[in-house]
Amino acid sequence: MATNPMHQFNVYRIGPEIKIAGIDISFTNASLFMVISAVFICVLLFFGTREKKLIPSKLQLIGEMFYNFIAKMISDTAGSKAKPYFPFIFSLFMFVLFCNMVGMLPYSFTVTSHIIVTLILAIFIFIAVTIIGFIKHGFGYLKLFVPSGVPIVLLPLITVIEIISYLSRPVSLSVRLFANMMAGHTMLKVFGGFVISLGLLGGWLPLSFSVALTGLEILVAFLQAYVFAILTCIYLNDALNLHH
Amino acid sequence: MVDYKDFKTRLKIAKSKLKNNSESKDEKKGKFMGNAFKLSTEFVAAVAVGTIIGFILDSWFGTKPWLIIIFFFLGSAAGMLNVIKTAKLMQEKD
Repeated sequence: MATNPMHQFNVYRIGPEIKIAGIDISFTNASLFMVISAVFICVLLFFGTREKKLIPSKLQLIGEMFYNFIAKMISDTAGSKAKPYFPFIFSLFMFVLFCNMVGMLPYSFTVTSHIIVTLILAIFIFIAVTIIGFIKHGFGYLKLFVPSGVPIVLLPLITVIEIISYLSRPVSLSVRLFANMMAGHTMLKVFGGFVISLGLLGGWLPLSFSVALTGLEILVAFLQAYVFAILTCIYLNDALNLHH
Repeated sequence: MVDYKDFKTRLKIAKSKLKNNSESKDEKKGKFMGNAFKLSTEFVAAVAVGTIIGFILDSWFGTKPWLIIIFFFLGSAAGMLNVIKTAKLMQEKD
């Protein structure tokens, strides 16, 4: 069964079974790898910011690079009003990026290749952005669903379409990340399986593909974390600035 | 001797330029794929959400096939709207 490409996505329990009110909240391998990613982020940022030198060390340089990258992204897409949400978007980006990157290590588990993880992240963003919009604009936020300059006859139809489009945000956000990660990792495993089954004679071609795909996967891992964060910024921009 | 040094630096500059170009090409390729995938998921997600809303409303009101059909088409329209919005955003960035 080790050659089954979907085997890597199995979630299994580590340690004792914990049940509270009929809900299984046992510690699984998925939870383990989330903890590992979080620890990686904490270690990187802790040691990166411990000694604030004028000429930065390598870790400090990496930390500052991430900071600048996210700060620039937020000010470019959502404007200066979004500055208070920097910690939220920064932690979101770092978590998704490190989950993706930790998943690239052999024998590890990719947390973001499960739709439930990405969907919960996306629904959390969706609800948070909606609440922020209503706090900032009151019921004026509903203007988002009523574009200006539409004839009265078409207004009900357009409003329904706009509402469906709004509700589809968390779905597209989560499916994109999940599908990219799952497809990429399945492909890597399939080519890995080819190497074993073709043996010493024919295994070199899939092996070279495998190497190239690993590079592509690292690019995708970064790109998807970036897309996840930038779309959050765009949604936040809609909620904060409301220009339609 | 001077000529030789001059040639060396020029070679270095030309090599670095070549490297930069190929890197940006790879990056562009990745971005194109990302954009294509972005547009397709935007469309599919809206259709799926529309259909699910239709299905739920159908089982609420007991109008079995009709609302799911209507909301499927509304979802498709929302998907096109999503694609247009995303494409506009991409154009603004360039």
